[in-house]
Amino acid sequence: MERVKNFIHHLFIPHEENNFRAKSLHTDFLTVYLVIAFLMTIIFKQANLHNVLGFATDISVDKLYQLINEQRQKNNLPSLSLNSSLSLAAQKKAENMFQENYWSHYAPDGKTPWDFILGANYKYEYAGENLAKNFLFSNGVVDAWMNSSTHRENILKKEYTEVGYAIVNGTLNGEQTTLVIQMFGTPLASSFVSQPVQANKTIQNIPIENKPQQVLAKKTYQPKINAFNFSFNLNIVFMAFLLVALALDFYFASKFNIIRIGGKNTAHFLFIIFVLAGLFLSTIGTII
Amino acid sequence: MIKPFSFHLKKELKNHLLDYLLLITAGIFFLILLNIFRGQRIIEFIVLVSFALFYIIWGVYHHIINETLHLKTVVEYILIAFIIIFLLKIIILP
Repeated sequence: MERVKNFIHHLFIPHEENNFRAKSLHTDFLTVYLVIAFLMTIIFKQANLHNVLGFATDISVDKLYQLINEQRQKNNLPSLSLNSSLSLAAQKKAENMFQENYWSHYAPDGKTPWDFILGANYKYEYAGENLAKNFLFSNGVVDAWMNSSTHRENILKKEYTEVGYAIVNGTLNGEQTTLVIQMFGTPLASSFVSQPVQANKTIQNIPIENKPQQVLAKKTYQPKINAFNFSFNLNIVFMAFLLVALALDFYFASKFNIIRIGGKNTAHFLFIIFVLAGLFLSTIGTII
Repeated sequence: MIKPFSFHLKKELKNHLLDYLLLITAGIFFLILLNIFRGQRIIEFIVLVSFALFYIIWGVYHHIINETLHLKTVVEYILIAFIIIFLLKIIILP
């Protein structure tokens, strides 16, 4: 126990034995961190952390589905069931968005979300669509939707009974993007008027054909997702370690009036804080 | 009496107010640029590298005007900047 205590003391507190600078901040230690960071970039690249288009995310259908139902349960609403036809419609919508290069509920050729839903042979009484792009985490997507009144209304609409998802990577307006398409629906009990709701908009009636349903809801990148989450957390832990080491070294050096040759801990501290803020900023995407 | 962490921090910031204001301004500018180019991964990475390079230059400048510049100090700034660049590259440009 005493050895562990001494080791931690040596690692974080400036004193005579570590040349009045926390050992964890010595140039040799920093060089080791740099080599580890460099090796990590190579290992994660070799491990194919990213998807085919080189954009990594931790968004999965399972997680989105779970979070949305949690929100509904909190509001005393029944859970939605995952529908493969709605997932197929979402998949087709995402593919169309990349093909036609647009970020909107409506395609440039006038195609609406309801066309994709009906095209997937889903006869609906109510239908809705939420879109998101550039998010890194499922929680971020759901939080953004819940913070927007129209998207929140879709998620908490009591009429909806089913939901479908597509998480698709591609290039939109020259930028590599992960699109998240969420389609809600209430199947038509009998053949009467269809009433779609996309963020409180539009109504349509379109004839429907019957086709075999495809299961697309499970089409995610689970192994890569875990690796991405791991690398993200590793980044946070490592930067937190550096911040703690810098803060302790700065405090004790100031307290004992230690004068030494070296960089300014306050500057390093500020630099890492800004980078961390930037890292969190990059996890926030866009919704419509 | 034991002085708190914030006391030492304020003292350090006060002693080099202009230098730290410059660094904080650059940091805010970095966050604004990241927000503008959010989702455009290559540009995000360029912004990050630019901020890291600015930080190294800031370090050299700060130690020159305080007459405390030493090779070891420059190496320290370079090492920290590149550790952060490599770490964030995994997230931004895997």
